[in-house]
Amino acid sequence: MKVVRQREETYRLNCFVENRPGVLARIVGLISGRGYNIQTLHVGPTEDGTVSRMRIDVLGTERVVDQIMLQLRNCVNVIEVTCRRRADVIVKGRKVEKRHA
Amino acid sequence: MRSGAKALAESLEKAGAEVVFGYPGGNVIDIFDCVRTAKFRFVLGRHEQGCVHMADGYARALGRPGVVLVTSGPGLTNTITGLGAANMDGVPLVLICGQVPLDEMGTDAFQEADTTGLTRAVSKHGFLVKSADEIPETIAQAFHIATSGKPGVVVIDIPRDCQEAQTAAQYPARVSLRAYHPERFATTAQVNRLAKLVNFAKRPVIYAGGGVIAADASADVTALAHKAGIPVVTTLTGMGAIDSGDPLSLGMAGIHGEPAARRALADADLIVALGVRFNDRTTATLPRRQWPRIVHVDCDASAIGRNVQAGFGIVADVKDLLATVDSRIRPASREAWTSRCRPTEKEISELSKSVRSRPGYVAPKAVVDAFCREAGESLVAVTDVGQHQLWAARYLRHVRPRSFISSGGMGAMGFGIPAAIGAAIARPDGKVVAFVGDGGAQMTAEELIVAAELNLPVVFVVFANGTLGLVRQMQKAGFGSRYFATDLRSPDFVKLAAAYGVKGVRVDDPARLDAAVARAVRAKGPVLLKVRTDPEAMA
Repeated sequence: MKVVRQREETYRLNCFVENRPGVLARIVGLISGRGYNIQTLHVGPTEDGTVSRMRIDVLGTERVVDQIMLQLRNCVNVIEVTCRRRADVIVKGRKVEKRHA
Repeated sequence: MRSGAKALAESLEKAGAEVVFGYPGGNVIDIFDCVRTAKFRFVLGRHEQGCVHMADGYARALGRPGVVLVTSGPGLTNTITGLGAANMDGVPLVLICGQVPLDEMGTDAFQEADTTGLTRAVSKHGFLVKSADEIPETIAQAFHIATSGKPGVVVIDIPRDCQEAQTAAQYPARVSLRAYHPERFATTAQVNRLAKLVNFAKRPVIYAGGGVIAADASADVTALAHKAGIPVVTTLTGMGAIDSGDPLSLGMAGIHGEPAARRALADADLIVALGVRFNDRTTATLPRRQWPRIVHVDCDASAIGRNVQAGFGIVADVKDLLATVDSRIRPASREAWTSRCRPTEKEISELSKSVRSRPGYVAPKAVVDAFCREAGESLVAVTDVGQHQLWAARYLRHVRPRSFISSGGMGAMGFGIPAAIGAAIARPDGKVVAFVGDGGAQMTAEELIVAAELNLPVVFVVFANGTLGLVRQMQKAGFGSRYFATDLRSPDFVKLAAAYGVKGVRVDDPARLDAAVARAVRAKGPVLLKVRTDPEAMA
């Protein structure tokens, strides 16, 4: 089998989580506890006040970020996680992310 | 209306708790007052780490969640190692912990600690209760989370004012959690593909892990192996997935495992990996070229692709999947392959030679063999961590699941003695034998008194070689025998046992081993056998 060394890139994780105390800490801890640095973090409420949305930018290989996403999905308070390369989300500084959310 | 503490005790009864392990303190005193009259049994440990290992041993031996009740601050911090050991091996465990009153949280109050923060990395989930009304539902949710999906540790932090406050809240009939849906099923296409891969494979191997034991799928694994003529290799925590005396069982894989098991995994054209994480102890001996030949089945989606890139992954309950795939598997004997997998004459004779030791020492295999002979199928083996753990894993006859209890993932020394006490409480029908080293024995020796107090018929076997054998072995192999900080002076374990009210027996002479083991196995109360083993013996 050919082993391909994967390239590090910035990925954007889009999480919908229950709006409860301790959820942010658990999610951030899960990422930082494995030695990965969060580049950008944005948390805010959605129209449904019981659900918060988090955008987390993480630098890593595809495999690493996949693993983070799967582990986030295992969190009891995480409703959904999607992941894209940030380069695909932000085009010339303009956010087009909303369309995909 | 009743207090939150009373509601908690009631909820634990409703959740089906039969035994609770713990240690009291100021911030759980209300709860203990209600536990006093509760229907479940309370077992008082002597250190909170011991309490958690006891509950862990109880849970592994019985397949039901262990429950622990401790106080805030130091009570909680003492549990961390135990929680990590249980969580890493997917053991269902609920920890209830007192907390300072809500309005004192964050003030550095007496015996305050950030429980949810401290336990985050060693648990599956954590709750901070903020009102007495939340207690019954939180308990129900905690038991549900701890026992479903990949089982694990759930922590519930209950501030003292919530224990004292009155509540009318009732235990819910059903648990619903908005974001938690751990049930996973294989698609028909996945089942068909698995069946096809098995049917067409010429050299298949089943690689069974702790997930098989947790899913109670041992019988299904054995049935599949026999139906299709597939040899079975296990992990340390997967011992008991198949009777190790079965001709299709090849034993443990990995750096401390059987050569035959390693060979089978290296030569296979299909590896059906069931409920394993591909821990580094085993992947070290698994050639990378084999990765595409792996079908990885686990209930935890994040386990697939984490350590090896399997050719094909299925996220499903192992038992469900095996039941579904069964009708699609064609019977086969694969005689040539299965006989090729068996250990060679040389390996068998080398293994049988290890019952002898240098003069003046008792051979570890002779000790393990003696217990297998005396206790037979009723043997429930519990180990600590180190050389003796690997000897027990390799030399024991593993007849059935939940009868080999060991801290696999975390490798927490100190696990053996308390976990054996928990296992003995869970399995009064079995003969619990704890194999421990002279290092780990001193980490949780204080729990021996619990075995004496409850008069549990546990045999504690201390392999006393005067050294931290597994680390010494690493210093020998990788550091030019520059031994440092591994040889350790130990107390007189026979006298120590006696001080705790446990009968202590010294076995320095191999000729006296069998008689000592026979007496220990038949004893009605706890016995400690101190066995002198060779520091040069390797695992």
